[in-house]
Amino acid sequence: MKISQQFRLFLTVFGLLGFGIFLSGCGSAESGETLRVWAHQGQEAENQAMREIVASFNEAHAIAGIRAEIEFFPDHQYSERIAAGAAAGDLPDIMDLDGPTLARYVDAGLLAPLDDDFSEAELADFLPTIIAQGTIDDRLYALGAFDSALVLYYDREILAAAGVTPPNEDRPWTWDEFLAACATLKEAGVDPVSLHMDESADEWYTYAFSPVIWSAGGSLMDPDTGRIEGVLNAPENIEALRQWQQLFALDYADNSPVEPNPFGLGKTAMDWSGHWMARSHLEAKREALGAAPLPVVGEHRAAASGSWAWAMLSTSDRPDVAAKFLRWVVSTENGIVPIVRANGAVPARRSAFEAFPEYEEIPYRLFKRQLTEHGRPRPQTPHYPALTRNFAEALRDIANGADPAETLTRAATQAQAVADR
Amino acid sequence: MKNVRVTAKRLPETWTAWGFLAPALVLLGLFVLWPTLRALFWSFTDADLLRPQQDQSRGMANYSVLLNDPRFRQAFFNTALFALMVVPVQTVFSFFLALWVNRPEPYWRWLRTVFFVPVVVSLPVLAILWTLLYQPVRGEEMGLINALITGIGLPGQRWLRDPTLALPALAFMSVWQGAGFQMLIFLAGLQNLNAETLEAARIDGAGPLQRLRYVILPSMKNSIIFVVTATLILSFRLFAQPYLMTGGGPDGRTRSLIQFIYETTFQDRNLGLASAGVILFLFIVAFLTLMQRLAGKEEKS
Repeated sequence: MKISQQFRLFLTVFGLLGFGIFLSGCGSAESGETLRVWAHQGQEAENQAMREIVASFNEAHAIAGIRAEIEFFPDHQYSERIAAGAAAGDLPDIMDLDGPTLARYVDAGLLAPLDDDFSEAELADFLPTIIAQGTIDDRLYALGAFDSALVLYYDREILAAAGVTPPNEDRPWTWDEFLAACATLKEAGVDPVSLHMDESADEWYTYAFSPVIWSAGGSLMDPDTGRIEGVLNAPENIEALRQWQQLFALDYADNSPVEPNPFGLGKTAMDWSGHWMARSHLEAKREALGAAPLPVVGEHRAAASGSWAWAMLSTSDRPDVAAKFLRWVVSTENGIVPIVRANGAVPARRSAFEAFPEYEEIPYRLFKRQLTEHGRPRPQTPHYPALTRNFAEALRDIANGADPAETLTRAATQAQAVADR
Repeated sequence: MKNVRVTAKRLPETWTAWGFLAPALVLLGLFVLWPTLRALFWSFTDADLLRPQQDQSRGMANYSVLLNDPRFRQAFFNTALFALMVVPVQTVFSFFLALWVNRPEPYWRWLRTVFFVPVVVSLPVLAILWTLLYQPVRGEEMGLINALITGIGLPGQRWLRDPTLALPALAFMSVWQGAGFQMLIFLAGLQNLNAETLEAARIDGAGPLQRLRYVILPSMKNSIIFVVTATLILSFRLFAQPYLMTGGGPDGRTRSLIQFIYETTFQDRNLGLASAGVILFLFIVAFLTLMQRLAGKEEKS
């Protein structure tokens, strides 16, 4: 009998242990008026700024008994975390999302529209790219505190030494002018341009080189029908990437770079890169730093845009509080100015630019101009991850010497197959 | 009376055994059996990663989609080819490595540790290291491997960027990385070897090759079966090296089955299709392991 009793105890303990593991996997403690906020983990300065924004929100709403709690998740695990949360019914009230992934979460019914929470006058203060990125099927689902910009940085001194006339801030180089400049630089013994082909994230390729296709009048996907096949591999896209491929075929750009920032070290004359390099490039080059819009293959002007944006979950049981928080993080004074000061991105609202005098200067002036005049979001489709994966893979293969027509067609077929399932 | 006492004593004993098994069984059930059954169930549905509760039956449709999907087929082919390169090379290589370092002097023990180090270092670190080693030639700059090759007058290669060389390059790196583990298992086998039998063979005039063929190999049989099986399963689980070093390219020639499943789940949200991939993967590995066990047994009889 004694053994049996011990055993019963034993079973109970382990049964409870197993059940406990089970419960901890499923449940989450409900927490009164605490608003749950999820965010991707950025640089430490950015996270710290975000924590301070949350703290200031809590301070301002202490009397109302409202409190927000923020949790950060590493970039590369973020979408997995959201998926796991969706499956387990354990999602926050509000979270930030990378712009092009928005359509996927709207499609899955996870997000609540924001139209009613912001007046038209308020929305007019935001950059057009922020509104375009957040709008799916004519409804607004997300608002960002900042946007991104992509330009061609160049070193005035290196260009002058090689006898290359720098590109114009108002009129981008045509592709022929760009290739000619590269040829002159290479003859002068300088590595012409860095394209960051060592980047491991697929998104870099889609973000950085979609503008080449757009400039030729092409697009990655038909925005009305969502069709990819026949659009991604349209003749103008193939021609555009044939032009782009020249950069590698003629060895104007390194296809397997080791150094992440060769331009900053003076190893390349030009840098195809984003706003996030502005501070470091200015520090390295000072007066010698120039910036121009990206070279274009055709007549069209379309600049890269898009970044993280805030969205409310449809499952939230306190949407009014969530809306208050969202309003706070995208307000000029409380949200945008502190976060932009920390991460150096482009402020999402026109009224915020006053706080940043550098927007009178190059390269910042160009960021603002591109985003207000001809910024374009990446395609909005629930199948964006498959589109960007296949497109990025095609770009890497084309840079590597693969035939653009064949490679783009395969990418289009494969992305379409995923969309059709 | 006697009988009763015996059963009364025995019954609790079996119960105790179950009690000791319980924690392992609970964990195994929770983290292996249940997810596998869940995947099996999902593989017949159109489950969406973001709303798996709203799934509908698709019958066998996922399986036929998979078998007709050129990306899945390519991923399967790549993985199988990788295993085909890695399993024999790694087994033979680690076997001779074990024979070589199986000596009692302390500095040989030190060498064993050296060979084992890559097994312990995390794969992402090794991926960066080998990406640098495989750097193609550009002007004066090149990776160490190309420097060695051009040093003896051969043309430099674009290892990870060449569609035909990328997978062999990854296989080579994987053999280097994993061989230490197999070496250790072989070493354990070698140290169980009966020294007297070996000595007797030597006295009877058996040369090193004959000793290997007739004494060492037969008694190492279990180690060899285990190593081949383990290497096969491990090489089918290929993911980190190509994902980090080539992204599955060039031309999709290094995309592995696991990468396909990962992409289908987390990027395409197609939990149903991905689960079908998991089940097929499970069957392939189970089938290969079984075949190998059978082959091992046949030789014995």
